[in-house]
Amino acid sequence: MTRWLGVVAMLGVLAGLVMAFLVAPREMTQGNVQRIMYVHVPAVWVAYLAFLVVLLGSVAYLWSRAPAADRTAHAAAEVGVVFLGVNIATGAIWGKPTWGTWWTWDARLTSVAVVFVIFIGYLLVRQMTDDPERGARFAAVVGIVGALNIPLVHFSVYWWRTLHQPPTFAKPGPAAASSAIGAALLVNFVGLLLLCAYFIAKRYDLLRAQQEATA
Amino acid sequence: MTSDHWGFVAAAYAVAVLALGGYWRRLVHLERTLKTPTLRRRRSAGR
Repeated sequence: MTRWLGVVAMLGVLAGLVMAFLVAPREMTQGNVQRIMYVHVPAVWVAYLAFLVVLLGSVAYLWSRAPAADRTAHAAAEVGVVFLGVNIATGAIWGKPTWGTWWTWDARLTSVAVVFVIFIGYLLVRQMTDDPERGARFAAVVGIVGALNIPLVHFSVYWWRTLHQPPTFAKPGPAAASSAIGAALLVNFVGLLLLCAYFIAKRYDLLRAQQEATA
Repeated sequence: MTSDHWGFVAAAYAVAVLALGGYWRRLVHLERTLKTPTLRRRRSAGR
């Protein structure tokens, strides 16, 4: 099952690359550098969803102490950190030719960096105690705090004056981009979402196998 | 007419491939290290 999910995810990612480079038009204002958005934007949407899984898994774990809930949260946090890392790195690479700087401490970039650091903390805090159950409990609290920061990241562009533009799609009213650009973003989102689901499923299986091996 | 900055586009996609491909390789490596002792145990039990 996980293997097939991996194959479908690979096909989805390839379809996304075709959309990004062969189907989507050259953007009028930014030129071809805008094609970075087809990995930058879907990567953060996927990371948000992974952190939503962390939130649900962490609440379920604190409620029931079910190891499966902790494994789900742990796997999703690790994968979410990878996708958020891709988002931050590709954003910096896009920012240099577009804004003239790799990084600036504006509200959107700073709030994303805070979430990234919180989820790295989530992964580290598990290792800080010899008791795995205690580590899982601490991590669940950190995971909930981290996930609750995501609305702050999303609305930061409205609440503060930022260099980062407001959302193009995830906002009320019509989208501020052409349908071809929207379609390319959507296909890339589906491809990366499938890849994220594959990574989480595989990591979950490995965590279960690790726990069974040490039990 | 804006400049296209293809070098930055290539760099961004290369970083994404390295990060996601690197994570996938890590999972494959973990899977192998978890399977190896089990296989050894099974082989020695079968002898």
